[in-house]
Amino acid sequence: MTTQNTEQANGLSFGSIIRRPETGSLIGFLVVYIFFAALGGAVFLGAPGWSSWLNIAAEVGIIALPVGLLMISGEFDMSVGSVVPASSMMAAILCGHYELPALVGILGGLSVGLLVGLVNGLIVTRTTIPSLIATIGTMFAVMGLTLGLAVLIKGSTSVSYIPDATTKQLLGSFVGGMFNVSIFWWIGFVVVYFFFLHLSPFGNWVFALGGDRESAKNAGIPTDKVTMGLFMASGFGAAFVGIAQVMTYQAAQVAGGQSFIFNSIMCVVIGGVLLTGGAGSVIGILLGTMTFAVVNQGIFFASLDPNVGSIIIGVLLLVAVLSNDTFRALAMNYATKKK
Amino acid sequence: MKMTKSFVATATNAIIATCVAGSAMAADIYVIGGKPDDPFWSRVKMGAEDAGIVAEMQGGSVTWLGPQNYDNLGPDAAELIRQAIDQGADAIVGPDWVPEAMDPAFEAVVAAGIPLVIYNAGGMEATDKLGALNYVGAVDYKSGFAAGEYLGNAGKTNGACVNTLPGAANIEAFCAGFNAGIEAVGGAGSVLQLPATSFGDATAVAQAVRAHLLQNPEIDALFAIGDADTNAAVSGIQQAGKADQVSICGMNFNESILANIQAGTQACAIDQQGYQQGFFAVSILNNYVNYGVTIPTREILTGPGIIDSSNVELVIEGVKAGAR
Repeated sequence: MTTQNTEQANGLSFGSIIRRPETGSLIGFLVVYIFFAALGGAVFLGAPGWSSWLNIAAEVGIIALPVGLLMISGEFDMSVGSVVPASSMMAAILCGHYELPALVGILGGLSVGLLVGLVNGLIVTRTTIPSLIATIGTMFAVMGLTLGLAVLIKGSTSVSYIPDATTKQLLGSFVGGMFNVSIFWWIGFVVVYFFFLHLSPFGNWVFALGGDRESAKNAGIPTDKVTMGLFMASGFGAAFVGIAQVMTYQAAQVAGGQSFIFNSIMCVVIGGVLLTGGAGSVIGILLGTMTFAVVNQGIFFASLDPNVGSIIIGVLLLVAVLSNDTFRALAMNYATKKK
Repeated sequence: MKMTKSFVATATNAIIATCVAGSAMAADIYVIGGKPDDPFWSRVKMGAEDAGIVAEMQGGSVTWLGPQNYDNLGPDAAELIRQAIDQGADAIVGPDWVPEAMDPAFEAVVAAGIPLVIYNAGGMEATDKLGALNYVGAVDYKSGFAAGEYLGNAGKTNGACVNTLPGAANIEAFCAGFNAGIEAVGGAGSVLQLPATSFGDATAVAQAVRAHLLQNPEIDALFAIGDADTNAAVSGIQQAGKADQVSICGMNFNESILANIQAGTQACAIDQQGYQQGFFAVSILNNYVNYGVTIPTREILTGPGIIDSSNVELVIEGVKAGAR
């Protein structure tokens, strides 16, 4: 698969815009938004509606960004589903059970994510186990450890923690009573990942890895380090969401978080990332996440049966993959003709 | 079938009569339950042991038999029942968690003429089928009903049950009970079904609740089916800016929920009161074995127990004592 550098599209002619990889995602987002705006009415168009789907988008988005980068580099991460509850449980046990300061709990929770990411990275780079299987393995292992340790330490599958005012303000409050602070963290993550993937020289390494790992290695890219770094980033993202959830809902559960596995992959794919790696963009992932969240929340405003929402997301996923292929073919044809 | 049952019943009564005839006898009661370190079961165990104080004063004893883990629950529990018979139990208390695996062992208890009380799981259906004395426990439908009735009596007229696990029989029973409860006092009930993609995700539950409340402004009462969902739904209500209008009750409780009830952000929590299950099951059997007295009320309900602002302080004391 060819590597793709979105930097080259500097001219903003109509042709270059329509051939940008994000165009399909943008059209998808607009179609979905207009559809639900028509059904959901004034409430959905106003601040309550926006904050509603942005709150959902922020959490899945913080995970979808690094998961998307991993997919661009040709790897999957299923373990995010159990890192979310593991990190929230770690934070709740440290702060709620042992009554340590909030910062200790936050750092403890984040290190759970980084550690799981490191293990994933080591398994994927040191063995021949494909990342899909490796991370399913770590997902189950982490799930079991979380349950076992929670029951051993606390004797319970849920641990309560009521955070202090500052921590609550930073990680679990609602701006204007509606907009979860996670939205602002998400925007921060988008900026960081955009810089990393599209502006810094490391971004091309990620694309190169997904294009052809062997050639990338031969070209002098430290492929193993990049892969491990990306796995740790996705562990970090999942852990961050887990901690934000404890601070928001004041309790950690051993179960839960499984929904993030497929939800994050769907956001990434709807956002135009190629499943085989080598192509994708941060703006695409952002749009994919927004589309996913609008459908997820839109169904409640549109008073549709929630199962209809799942059908729409399923269809959207298939349409996204088909249209991405179409847009890619368009872009390729154009590039070939120009020669 | 019916003949066997009545024969067994007669035999049981005959044996009990012989035992009881010779002055008051000490009752060695065996209680089969969950792991002692399971938070719910530790409360049941405490209730059983508190009732056991009376049994011990009369020369009897209470022995707790719990599995090491829940990996092989049915067969393990059946094994514990047989152990109790072998150790010469005068009376046995047990939950009918997995009828297929456990019923043969319970039948052996009744066949050996040992008085049996089913508690926690199984209901009257299992109790009657096995020929046990009584059932002590909570019923899902009635728990939901109590929440609906409570909110209806508090002046709420339109309730929705937040079902995060559509299709699960006990959850459907909670919701059906809630709707029937609020309808019984003149309100209307509905169910907010969440898609499968949001199960276990507090944010998804909170946002769904919030959207539903904004889109259906007539709703003024909610019922959530577990403590995690209740926490999420409370957040959803606040984000919708409807804390003044919408009241919520939820199943089970934890520290944050008791704090919410104290703060007034949650109206009530429904508890199945495990302590009562252990306490009454043991008391019924102790009195029966010692004096031949019975409780003619069949199906002793230990739940729903309602926790609201009027008794939350008492519940917090109970939590500290380990009984709740």
